[in-house]
Amino acid sequence: MPAKFDHNDSSVVVIIGSGAGGGTLAHELARKGISVVVLEAGKRVEMTEFQNDEVAMFALFTWQDPRTATGSWSVAKTSPDLPVWTCKLVGGTTVHWGACALRFQDHEFKPRTRYGAIAGANLMDWPVDLKEMEPYYDRAEDMMGVTGTHGIPPLPVSNHGKVLFAGAKKLGYTKYQVTNMAINSLPRDGRASCQQTGFCVQGCTFGAKWSTLYVDIPRAEATGKAEIRPECQALRIEHDASGKVTAVVYADRTGALQRQKARIVAVAGNAIESPRLLLNSSSSLFPHGLANSSGQVGRNYMRHTTGAVFAVFEKPVHMYRGTAQSGIVMDEARLDTRRGFVGGYQMELLPQGLPSFAQTIIPGGWGRDRAWILDHYANAAGLWVIGEDMPRETNRITLHPEKKDRFGMPIPNIHSDDHPNDVAMRNHGYQQGESLYKSIGALKTVRVSPYPSTHNMGTNRMSEKPRDGVVNQFGQAHDVKNLFVSDGSQFPSSGGENPTLTIVALTLRQAEYIADQMARGEI
Amino acid sequence: MKRTLESGQVTRRGFLVGGAATIVTVAVSGVTLLADPARNWAVELPSFTPDQARVLLQFVRDLFPHARLVETFYAEAIAPLHDEAAKDPATRELLASGIAQLNTLAHAPAGKSYADVTDEKARVAAIRQIEGGAFFAKVYGATLTPLYNQRKVWPLFGYEGPSSALGGYLHRGFNDLDWL
Ligand SMILES: Cc1cc2nc3c(=O)[nH]c(=O)nc-3n(C[C@H](O)[C@H](O)[C@H](O)COP(=O)(O)OP(=O)(O)OC[C@H]3O[C@@H](n4cnc5c(N)ncnc54)[C@H](O)[C@@H]3O)c2cc1C
Ligand code: SF4
Repeated sequence: MPAKFDHNDSSVVVIIGSGAGGGTLAHELARKGISVVVLEAGKRVEMTEFQNDEVAMFALFTWQDPRTATGSWSVAKTSPDLPVWTCKLVGGTTVHWGACALRFQDHEFKPRTRYGAIAGANLMDWPVDLKEMEPYYDRAEDMMGVTGTHGIPPLPVSNHGKVLFAGAKKLGYTKYQVTNMAINSLPRDGRASCQQTGFCVQGCTFGAKWSTLYVDIPRAEATGKAEIRPECQALRIEHDASGKVTAVVYADRTGALQRQKARIVAVAGNAIESPRLLLNSSSSLFPHGLANSSGQVGRNYMRHTTGAVFAVFEKPVHMYRGTAQSGIVMDEARLDTRRGFVGGYQMELLPQGLPSFAQTIIPGGWGRDRAWILDHYANAAGLWVIGEDMPRETNRITLHPEKKDRFGMPIPNIHSDDHPNDVAMRNHGYQQGESLYKSIGALKTVRVSPYPSTHNMGTNRMSEKPRDGVVNQFGQAHDVKNLFVSDGSQFPSSGGENPTLTIVALTLRQAEYIADQMARGEI
Repeated sequence: MKRTLESGQVTRRGFLVGGAATIVTVAVSGVTLLADPARNWAVELPSFTPDQARVLLQFVRDLFPHARLVETFYAEAIAPLHDEAAKDPATRELLASGIAQLNTLAHAPAGKSYADVTDEKARVAAIRQIEGGAFFAKVYGATLTPLYNQRKVWPLFGYEGPSSALGGYLHRGFNDLDWL
């Protein structure tokens, strides 16, 4: 039974956002008997509303409130009105996500030590390392049902995977496989197995893919300790004279302002909205934004170094059939500076349905050459280069000086300039991706510039010392001990792996810490 | 807005499969109609003149030239743009001036339009000159998805689309590739 809490109940933990971070935290705390109220800006969409329809589901799930983009990143030109692709609904972006679930590598927790000082990059080691994270990765994988872990068999190889692996082999790569996926290869944990529908990003109609929408949130509610409030957008976090947070002001579905009192506040709105909320919660005590004595709130925005390569073959591939992201080449994920850059990247399958393919294959493109590619859609295959990008202080989320959303909250501006390391890595990835496909007879290859950012990180980073970052190794604000950040904005660096497994593992660790600190009366 | 050439209603998406179509642009009682008489299909575009409709049709085909797509698919793609123009004078104005400019740039003979210019190179050269402008951006942005998101277009590109109701592609070829 979902709980119902009073607005004046100051014993609750208020969690803002119900995606990978917020949904997981709600479940973990509720399981431990802690009362939680989840404020979620988006609607509660039921699984029965999912359709195998790219255009309709994009419209239903996507966070489309206005955002602006500045900087030299290509997205500011190709997609200025939608620079970032995240979701706005109960379950957050875990409704959309491809479910590729990878651990970070050891060296990726120590980029400053392992890469050295890099001009123009704000590199810092994480205050945690792989060894400390391992038990939490383990639990996260078990909880999410990640294939290739805990004795769960991998998903089968699709047509699209066969093409990727044949090319990888031809190029001399050795680390290619069906990805570790948070998708059931066999029925498990009360959820069905994957039917290879190919519409993972449109919401998994079979529930084979892990999403907080139908895994963690209902389970949190079933404890009787959690209340989810959809269509409630947090606008400001309030604090008392001592600097402890006391309440969250939010707009409910009617647009009316409400104030929910809180013992603890955890912010999990994804790496654009979380710093936006902290910046919008400035006060005389925190003139530059809540918990921002370091000045790092909103800075070091990372989005992974990405780019896509599509290839057209003589014969059919039908890349849209089957689990979307279920193939990976990991040979380039190593640290090897002879390639001309630090950090590494993965190559992951990137299938698209015809409508998405037509929209993105050549942004703004037209004419016979483009049409030729589309005419060969059935014979196309694609991969996504996703690698570590450099944190830069100047890549940041700020509040727009004039523009406001419908609740009067300033909209976020996202500024990003590629670091030379990002450019070198992307070019290397393009080159390798093209070679991979050409080695098995591609008639033509196409480089696609980065899409609106799906992986957003770094904007409330964790640090050992309060002056270097916003939160400590448990996501607890250095400045405000009953304020937590529970999403990818905690990451000091991006690693070369998709972020969600790490977000979930950090959240499991954080939940333990919060429960412990509460029990001790520390918070 | 659709109707048959005779009288009754044409269902919003109920028309045509395959084959080449001859689309005619006519004004019936002063209302512009893109029609494919052979298929008993028509779309009403009352806010465009017949000539404007023909230019837009050709322009969108030049942007996205697929020999396999008959005219009616392109007509479907410009219908939402028309509906927007019908409601918004600024869009109407943008389209009218853009079309006039295309006619000029493509060197359409007096009294003729861009759609009458048979030399594709001349039409493409005209598009190059307006690329990046507001008219180009409007038409491009408003027609791309409506063109490729038509269910009846999908099989022509080998896209099978929705699969959940059919049990996914698990038993329908997700791993049938055998040419490698
Ligand atoms: C198409 C796509 C594919 C992806 N594939 C993968 C993949 O294969 N592997 C992987 O690891 N990652 C993938 N990702 C990324 C992954 O989805 C995110 O890393 C993850 O969901 C982030 O979790 P989060 O909790 O930080 O934020 P989200 O999951 O985005 O949740 C944030 C929630 O907070 C809500 N919110 C924001 N602001 C407020 C506010 N002020 N008040 C109330 N609510 C608020 C939002 O509405 C949203 O529901 C993909 C993303 C996309 C878009
Ligand atoms: S391919 Fe598998 S995981 Fe993806 S939507 Fe279909 S059933 Fe779900």
